[in-house]
Amino acid sequence: MKILVPLKRVADPDNANKVKPTADKVDTSGLEWKINPFDEYALESALRLTEDGKAPKKRLGEVIVVTVGPKETETTLRSALATGADRAIRVDAEDDALDGRMVAKALQSIVEAEKPDIVLMGKQAVDGDTNQVGQILAERLDYPMATFAATIQEEDGGVLVSREVDGGVCWLRLKNPCVVTVDLRIVAPESVYSLKTDKSFKHNDGVRFAALPAIMKAKKKPLDVKTLGDVAAGTELTAKYSKFEPPPQRAAGVKVADVAELVQKLATEAKVI
Amino acid sequence: MCWVVAHANINRYKADLRETRFVLFEQFRAGELLGKPPFENWGVDEVNMVLDEVYRYATEVSGPLNGISDEGCRIVDGTVTTPPGFKEAWKKLYESGFKSLSIEPEFGGQGALATVTAMVTEMTSGSCTAFDMYPGLTIGAAELIASFGGPGQAERYCPKMHDGTWSGTMCITEPHAGSDVGDSKTTAKQNDDGTYSIKGTKIFISGGDHDLTENIVHMVLARIEGAPIGTKGLSLFIVPKRRIDEEGNSGDSNDVTTLGIEHKMGINGSATAQLSFGENDGCIGELCGTEPHRGMRQMFQMMNFARIGVGIQGLAIASAAYLSAVEYAKERKQGASVTNWKDPAAPRVPIIQHPNVRRMLLDMKARVEGIRALIVKGAWHRDHAVAIGDSDEKLRQYHEGQLELMTPLIKAYSSDQAFSICETAIQVHGGVGYTADFPVEQYCRDSKIFSIYEGTNGIQALDLVGRKLGQAGGANMQAFLGDVQKFIDETKDHADLGPAVAKLAAAHAAVASTAMTFLTWFQEGKMDRVPLAANRFLDMMSEFTVGWLLLDGAKISIEKQKSVDKKDADWAFYEGKKHAACFFASHVLPNVPSSASVIADANSSALEIPEAAFTTV
Ligand SMILES: Cc1cc2nc3c(=O)[nH]c(=O)nc-3n(C[C@H](O)[C@H](O)[C@H](O)COP(=O)(O)OP(=O)(O)OC[C@H]3O[C@@H](n4cnc5c(N)ncnc54)[C@H](O)[C@@H]3O)c2cc1C
Repeated sequence: MKILVPLKRVADPDNANKVKPTADKVDTSGLEWKINPFDEYALESALRLTEDGKAPKKRLGEVIVVTVGPKETETTLRSALATGADRAIRVDAEDDALDGRMVAKALQSIVEAEKPDIVLMGKQAVDGDTNQVGQILAERLDYPMATFAATIQEEDGGVLVSREVDGGVCWLRLKNPCVVTVDLRIVAPESVYSLKTDKSFKHNDGVRFAALPAIMKAKKKPLDVKTLGDVAAGTELTAKYSKFEPPPQRAAGVKVADVAELVQKLATEAKVI
Repeated sequence: MCWVVAHANINRYKADLRETRFVLFEQFRAGELLGKPPFENWGVDEVNMVLDEVYRYATEVSGPLNGISDEGCRIVDGTVTTPPGFKEAWKKLYESGFKSLSIEPEFGGQGALATVTAMVTEMTSGSCTAFDMYPGLTIGAAELIASFGGPGQAERYCPKMHDGTWSGTMCITEPHAGSDVGDSKTTAKQNDDGTYSIKGTKIFISGGDHDLTENIVHMVLARIEGAPIGTKGLSLFIVPKRRIDEEGNSGDSNDVTTLGIEHKMGINGSATAQLSFGENDGCIGELCGTEPHRGMRQMFQMMNFARIGVGIQGLAIASAAYLSAVEYAKERKQGASVTNWKDPAAPRVPIIQHPNVRRMLLDMKARVEGIRALIVKGAWHRDHAVAIGDSDEKLRQYHEGQLELMTPLIKAYSSDQAFSICETAIQVHGGVGYTADFPVEQYCRDSKIFSIYEGTNGIQALDLVGRKLGQAGGANMQAFLGDVQKFIDETKDHADLGPAVAKLAAAHAAVASTAMTFLTWFQEGKMDRVPLAANRFLDMMSEFTVGWLLLDGAKISIEKQKSVDKKDADWAFYEGKKHAACFFASHVLPNVPSSASVIADANSSALEIPEAAFTTV
C-alpha cells in the first residue's frame, strides 16, 4: 500500500489575531506555523492504514508527504517524517504563486509520477477554508473520490469509506487508485483499519505523538525538492486576491422587551425577515 | 462528587515556549553545541520538534490528569492504586519515548543536552507533578545502576526500566534517619550465593508501591552486618518488589510489604509509601556494583542530579502558577482604573490594570524567569563539561565546579520561590484562588514538598556554606565572582541597564565580603554562627546569581529588539525581559547588601535563648 498525503502549513490559529492584512495580501511575518489540522488527520489515517495494530507496530506500506511552499515549509515535512511518514517531497513555490487549482495541478504531476494507491488529504485547510484541492485533483486525475471521510477500511484493491451526512451515514466503496479527503472523526479509536489490523484493535484517540526516536531519525529520511515549473508548467493562477480586511467589529447587543419588539427589529434593523 | 466533575480531564497547564526558546537558543546559545560531539545527532529542528511534541503531551495527556491526581492514591489490602488515567498516561509516555531524552545512547536513549532536558522536564513535571514523579524516579534509579552496577546489572535492569516495563525508587529515609541518613537501621546479611537478605523499614518512599508496572526496582541503602556506623557503613542494594528470574521475568513476591501510604498536603497522586523489607526473612537484594560500603557516595552522585530535578519541579509549578495568574488577571473585571477611582460610573477594568496586581505579576515573572535562567545556566555548565571531555581538563573542571556551586542554589532557591510564587498567584486570583475551581491552590500545596525532600533547604544551605564555598580551595567561588564581575565591567555603562548593573555591583561586593566573613568564622572556630547565617547566605547568593542572569538576558533582549518591528509579538517579548530584569534589580537585589549587614551583625539570640524561654506551654 502506497499512500500520498499532501500537507499544508497554516498560521497557528492561536496567533491568527496577529495576522496583519495589508491591501492585497495577509502579512504573515513573525507567525508560528503548524500543519493544517485536517492534514494531520490525513497523515494519521495514512499511518494507520499502513500498520498492523500490533505491538511493536509493523509498517506495511509507504507514506509519502508532499507540500507546495517555500523552504521554511520543510519544517512541516520534517515533523511529518518524525510522526512516521517515510519520505517527503517539497515543490518549491512562494505562497503568492499558488491557488487551489495550481496546487492541484502540482499534486497531479506528483501522483502521476509516484502512482500511489490512495491520495489521502484533509477536507480543507483552516486558513482559506476553500475545500477544493481534493476535488479538483480527483477530477484532473479522473480518480474515484470520497470527501469528508469519517471512517476508512481497507479492502482488497480499494477502500470502504463512511461519511457523515444529514440524517445518517453514507457508505462509499472505492477502487484504488482514489482520492479520499478526511474529516475530524477519522482519528477516533475505531475509525481506520488496514487489512492486517484486527477489528478488535483500538487506536489511541487523536493524532499520535512524534516519538522521540523517530524525531531523531527524521533528518535522515529522504526529502526531494522540485520546482513549480517541474510539476505545473504552463498553469496560470485563476484566483487573484485583490483586498483583505479584518471582519467588522461586532456591535454591542440590545435587550428586547418582548417578542413583538424582536420581530420588529429583525424586520426593520437586521432586515433578515 | 461535583468536585471530581470540576476537575475531570481538563487541561489547565500552559507553558510559554517563546521564553523556552529564548533561554535555550538566545541566552544560552545551544546552537554552539548542537551538531557536534557528543550532541552530533541534535540540531535546532530536533530540539524544536521535541519541545512542540512534549508540549502536546503535557497539555493533552498529562495536564488533564493534574486535577484528578489530587484525589490521591488508594490502598486496599496492601495494594496501591494510582488515580484514574495514570496507567494510560504511563503507556503513552513510554510509547512516545520522551523519557529517553537524557539517557545515554548505549542504553537506547538520545543523549540530549542537559539544557534541553531541563526544559522538557519543566513541561512534563509542571503539567502533572505527581504523575511525573514515577518516571522521574525510575530514571534516577536506572542511572544509579548504569553508573555503578556490577557485571550484567545494567543489562539486566536498565532496558526494562527505560521502556516503562518496570519502575524504580530511592529508599533512603527511615523513621529515625531523615536528614541524617547515617542513622539508617536497615540491614543486609550476605547469603551463600553472594546475594543479601535485606531487613528493615523505609518511610516516605515516592512511588514505593503502585499499579503502573509489573515490578518496582527499589534502590535501598542498608548496612551490611558488621559495617561501621554512620554513612560510611552504608551500601546500596538493588531490591525488586518481585523476584526476577534468569530470563529477566518478574516472578514471586520478594517480601517487600507496603505498610501504608501517607495522606499528604500535596502531590497526592504520587504514592508515598512506607515499606517493610524482609518481614518474613524473604527479601533478597543484590549489591549495586561489586564494592560494599560505597552506598552513600553512589547516592550522592545521583542526588546532585535529583536536586537539580527538584529545582526544575519548582520552576515548573511556579511557571504554571504565574501563567494562570496572568490569564485570570486579564479576564477578571473588578473596580475602576486608579486614574478615575472617584467616579462610580467609570468602566470596570480587568484587574491586570491595577498597579498592585501588575506589581505582583511582574514580581512573579521576574522570579520565574530568574529561576529558569539559573537552572539552565547550571545545565549549560554540565553540557559544556561533557562536550569538553578530556580535551581541556582545566576548563572542564571550571564548568563542573560551577555546577557544584550552583546545585544547592538551584534546589533550595527554586523550591522556596516556587511556594512563594504560588502563594502570590493565589493572591492575584482573590477568593477564587483559594478554591479548587482554579489550579493555583493545588500548585501551592504540591510545591511545598520541594523544599523538604532531596535534602531539606536547611541542609542545602549547609552544603553551600560548609562544602561548596571552600571547594577546590575556593577556586569555584572565585571563578564565579569573576564571571559576574566581567559582566558588570562590560555592562555598567549600558544605556538602559546601567543603574540596574550598579545594584548588581553592590550585591557582588556584599556576597564577596560575606564569603570572607564565613572564612573568618571557620578560622576562628566560631562554627555555631555558620548555620545561623547559612540560609540567609544561600538566599543572597541566589538573588545575586538570578539578578545577574536576568540582566544578562535583558542585555541580549535589548540588542535583539533593535531589529524587531514594534508591532511584532517578539518586540513585546523582549520588552518583557527588560522589565523583569530591571524590576528584579530594583526590588530584590537590594536585599543582598542588606542580608550581608544582617550576617555581619552576627546576632546570636537564636543560640542564646534558653529552650524554656521559647514558650511557657
Ligand atoms: C512526599 C514525600 C516524598 C518523599 N520521597 C522520598 C523518597 O522517595 N525516598 C526517600 O528516601 N525519602 C523520601 N522522602 C523523605 C525526605 O527526603 C525527608 O522527609 C527529608 O530528608 C527530611 O527528613 P525528615 O522528614 O526526617 O526531617 P528531619 O530530618 O527530622 O528534619 C526536620 C527539620 O530539622 C532540620 N534539620 C535536621 N537535621 C539538621 C541538621 N543536621 N542541621 C540543620 N538542620 C537540620 C531540617 O532541615 C528540617 O527543617 C519523602 C518525603 C516526603 C514528605
